Amino acid sequence: MDEYDELFEIEDNFEEQFADELEAMAQMEGESSKPQRAERSPKSKRMKQDAGVVKRLFGETQPSAVLLQSEDITPPSSPEQYEPPSIARSNPAALDISGFALLQESPGRPPTGPPASHHVLKRPPLEGEYISVTDSSGSRIYLRQKEDSGTKTVNSRNVPNFLGELGLLSVPIRVLREQEADRRHQQLVEESQRLTELLTSSVNEALVQPEDTENDENKDPEDSDGQMSRLWVDRYSPRHYTELLSDDFTNRCLLKWLKLWDTVVFGRERKSRPARSDRLAANQSSFKPNQGNPNPNRFKTKTEVTEELLEAELDQYKRPKFKVALLSGPPGLGKTTLAHVIAKHAGYNVVEINASDDRSADVFQKRIDQATQMKSVLGANERPNCLIIDEIDGAPAAAINILLAVLNRKDGHGGEAGSDTAKKKKKKEPILLRPIICICNDLYVPALRPLRQQAFLLSFPQTQPSRLVQRLSEISVRQGLKADTGALMSLCEKTDNDIRSCINTLQFLHGRGHKQLDARTIQRVSVGQKDQNKGLFHLWQEIFQLPRTKRKRVGDDFEEAMAAGGGGQRFQHILDLAMSNGDYEKVSQGLYDNFLSMRVRDPNLQSVCEALDWLSFSDRLNQVILHNQNFSLMKYLPFLSVTFHFLFAHTHVPRISYPHSHHDASSRLLSSRNALSTMLADIPACIRTRISQLSLTVDILTLLLEIICPKLRPVNPQLFSSREKEQMHELINTMLAYNLSYRQDRTPEGQYTYILEPRVEEVVRFPGLPPRRQLTYQAKQTISREMEQEKMRRAEQLMLQRNPAGVREDKVNEKKSAGPKATSNHQQRLENIVKQTTVESRPEVDFFGRAVAPKPQKIEPSSHTGERCAVLAMGTAVGDSDVWFRFNEGMSNAVRRNVYIRELL
Amino acid sequence: MSLWVDKYRPTSLGKLDFHKEQAAQLKNLVQCGDFPHLLVYGPSGAGKKTRIMCLLRELYGAGVEKLRIEHQTVVAPSKKKIEINTIASNYHLEVNPSDAGNQDRVVVQELIKTVAQSQQIQSSTQREFKVVLLTDVDRLTKDAQHALRRTMEKYMATCRLILCSTSTSKVIGPIRSRCLAVRVPLPSSEEVCGVLASVCKKEGLLLPPELAKRISEKSGRNLRKALLMCEACRVQQYPFSADQDIPETDWEVYLRETANAIVSQQSPQRLLEVRARLYELLTHCIPPDIIMKGLVKELLSNCDGQLKTEVAHMAAYYEHRLQLGNKAIYHLEAFTAKFMAIYKKFMEDGLDAMMF
Repeated sequence: MDEYDELFEIEDNFEEQFADELEAMAQMEGESSKPQRAERSPKSKRMKQDAGVVKRLFGETQPSAVLLQSEDITPPSSPEQYEPPSIARSNPAALDISGFALLQESPGRPPTGPPASHHVLKRPPLEGEYISVTDSSGSRIYLRQKEDSGTKTVNSRNVPNFLGELGLLSVPIRVLREQEADRRHQQLVEESQRLTELLTSSVNEALVQPEDTENDENKDPEDSDGQMSRLWVDRYSPRHYTELLSDDFTNRCLLKWLKLWDTVVFGRERKSRPARSDRLAANQSSFKPNQGNPNPNRFKTKTEVTEELLEAELDQYKRPKFKVALLSGPPGLGKTTLAHVIAKHAGYNVVEINASDDRSADVFQKRIDQATQMKSVLGANERPNCLIIDEIDGAPAAAINILLAVLNRKDGHGGEAGSDTAKKKKKKEPILLRPIICICNDLYVPALRPLRQQAFLLSFPQTQPSRLVQRLSEISVRQGLKADTGALMSLCEKTDNDIRSCINTLQFLHGRGHKQLDARTIQRVSVGQKDQNKGLFHLWQEIFQLPRTKRKRVGDDFEEAMAAGGGGQRFQHILDLAMSNGDYEKVSQGLYDNFLSMRVRDPNLQSVCEALDWLSFSDRLNQVILHNQNFSLMKYLPFLSVTFHFLFAHTHVPRISYPHSHHDASSRLLSSRNALSTMLADIPACIRTRISQLSLTVDILTLLLEIICPKLRPVNPQLFSSREKEQMHELINTMLAYNLSYRQDRTPEGQYTYILEPRVEEVVRFPGLPPRRQLTYQAKQTISREMEQEKMRRAEQLMLQRNPAGVREDKVNEKKSAGPKATSNHQQRLENIVKQTTVESRPEVDFFGRAVAPKPQKIEPSSHTGERCAVLAMGTAVGDSDVWFRFNEGMSNAVRRNVYIRELL
Repeated sequence: MSLWVDKYRPTSLGKLDFHKEQAAQLKNLVQCGDFPHLLVYGPSGAGKKTRIMCLLRELYGAGVEKLRIEHQTVVAPSKKKIEINTIASNYHLEVNPSDAGNQDRVVVQELIKTVAQSQQIQSSTQREFKVVLLTDVDRLTKDAQHALRRTMEKYMATCRLILCSTSTSKVIGPIRSRCLAVRVPLPSSEEVCGVLASVCKKEGLLLPPELAKRISEKSGRNLRKALLMCEACRVQQYPFSADQDIPETDWEVYLRETANAIVSQQSPQRLLEVRARLYELLTHCIPPDIIMKGLVKELLSNCDGQLKTEVAHMAAYYEHRLQLGNKAIYHLEAFTAKFMAIYKKFMEDGLDAMMF
């Protein structure tokens, strides 16, 4: 790529990047200087706008913009246009562009109408009736329906329907509107004259004058209700894109994002993006057209990533990839204002949901549906809605889930192939076709987590203090407050560049009768400080770090004040921070974990001792607070932080780690407690009564583990000598008595080991001590097997003890084999078999003798032989022996036998 | 029942090996029929529990040794269920209320009431009261102890309490005044040796008296520990030799090393290491007061006379704070830091004195 191209590229980039802004400028200029072709806030019916017009407009308006800027007091980065006096006097129509004039209006109203002489418009006019006319060449123009300007003075209430139309009002609405516009116009002229006088007059006059002007304003019939009661914050809030104080890049990104919606909302094509990508593709064939980044190897900066997100293709419904923009940042930076201004600027009707509304799930659903699917029919603002959900971080998770469901609706229907069915379903649950802007302070609220992934994230950087000071000085001049830059600078510093807080403080001071502001007053005033809640790490950082010396930009007297009250101020500062944090437990834990690693010269350990004394003091305090519910003592807790600050603060940036130690310790304590209690739970009562958990850990367990590791010869236990057998027996008894056993376990490496259950070994073993003697794998295996056998033996003994008679009886019964009561199922079954085999004999018996059945039966075995004898023999065999047999196909329990453990061991 | 500790535990008052006078007194107490609430206290390993069980046997006969473990559930007023294990015979009930933690008050109220409110049916054949044995009374919260006061008076007719604790200092005055306090001191070194010898004799082993003496010293006259140590020695090596090494509990070794670390260097970094070790001890269920005690004992052995008083004073001061507070580690570390400061100053002063 040669230089020229690069240059060209940059230029183009500029135009593309700032296209939206340029458009904004152009529109404003158009409104003011050429009202007849005014491109106001776009309407839904607006025809598509071609880029050429913008450029041409820009070209035309550029000189005037330069002119304006030269007169302007604000820096070019935020071209706020305040009242240029000459223009105000000479050209009343140009008042529209002056920020001042506009500031006087209520926000919802459109600017004054254009002069009556221009009727032919290229676009439908914003207000008033119009007729669309298509000429022979096919181009469509709009004619404004307008009455004579002379007649409007004649129009009063009692003149009925002008033009003979039907109307609910006695005076047509547009007439009223005309009147209103006219009146306001005149008022603006008056106002501007007064103010130019004011500005040109000397400063001393200015101190007195504004009161008068305000009084005058109060007397104004129109704005008497709203304007003076309003806060300065509202009065001087930006009405235009160009007046925004917030970071330019953020503004631009949000505007771009909102413009992406134009395709689906207004039916416009995207203008410059495809052109750029085409050109890119032409220039560098190696890059894919959609990749906006010319150097893919380089890591992308955050800015580029954001830009790229905005360059991303629209989805199948021609919506941008991210349906929601999520603005985040600390309070008072103008997030809400930005959202409103941009939405209005892009031609939307703003619908806001904020924390003051009910945000329960169903209400939320209703409001979202209303805002995204309907539009206002009545009134002038029949523009599409843009939903702004303010303070979304306070919304319940259910509400956010509903929002997500709304966002993801297309997923359900987009995939369906049949367009008819899709359409039918769409009627039920239409997809989201309107932009939603969410605003939050804390981006990392848990409820927002799912939304974060689907949202176009924009975090607000701090307002530049220079711009804020500029604006503040303008306001104070406007209000007749004498404030030097230093004072305003320190105000900004004090409020952390919080615009709202700054202006409110100014108004407060003004209301208190201060006409002159200097740094000292501002330092003394305690308003303007937010009840801020910074993170724990910030607090720890502040505690362990000395404040850096202030830069000299603020002014000498201020510096002196700082130096004089250094210690006290630090004290107060840390105290405030700690109190506003409130999580004393965590704070003190963090201090405890970190203070020893601070680089403090402390050869005598004096400060360490003092710090630990304080810690133990706060611990006792905590105990008293929690135990007696004496919460009035809680006010003493934050002083711990102050002490640590004075003991350990250092100029170095401290390296602070999150305090885990306490949590770790308590969880480990819990696990060892659990191991001990599992061990204790199954120890037999006679031993259980002699030991407690305490004696177990302190006295018994280590020695016990020692005792159960005797020296065993690695041979088969059968080969043990009698003494060894005895020892083994004792060992097993001990282990059983103390509920210990070996369990086979497989290590991740695939080796088998026996580990002691319950895992009390970890409770008594300490790291760094010489390892205790361990039994070999074979020994453990032997012990484990022996233990199993012993356990079985004991279980059987217990059973025998429990019903010794029953077992003996059984045996007797078996021996008798003629017992009338069958003990178990299989015996019954066997008897049946015997019966079946003897069935042949039965009828004979019946046939043979009538009533005396036993007799022939008795005789028969004795007299007869052969098969019957065999049958009987079988019967007795079944009863007599311990083994029964029955052939049963597919059964495994064919052979049954009572086996006692004692016979096996 | 195969550990020597369990196997050769005396079961009747007559067979007790030491403090025989006290045993005789207890026998008299039981025989005269009436029997007050008892508070048995003394260091661990002195045989409190053995004595109590002997007493119960004297009272009720051999039936008291038929023990069973019962899992009881007590419902607190806050609908929270507390599960607690009790050991019971037909005649008595043993509870360790401190198992229930902060809710021990409920356990004391409910359990004792249910036992105490049930009358014995056959008062002719049996005593007309049951015994409730509360262990670890010094770990009872103040609330629970106050809950005990009224119960002790109200159900005197049907129930006697035997409280078992290591020290009376944590038992509130009203309870102490309602009980007959029985102190069971540690056996003397000779008594420990005698017990060890007799046990070994019963086992058919030959115990050299030197080894017995060493064991009794090492165990700190804690008889339970002494017997366990003796058995561990037996497992390690038999026949015994007089100078064989006696296994110790790990935590004591660890604590000694910690104390050595404190003495050898005094700096914040070392304090950080010591903190890790203290945490280690605490997480191994070693109670903080025992850690404190062991630490002081080890540290004092490294101190000179003047320093000793100061260190002991500091130890008392911080142990008191430890009892009042909740997070033991702060207080333990505070003591360590203070000792480090004192010790360092002392050493530097000593060096200065040497120089001049």
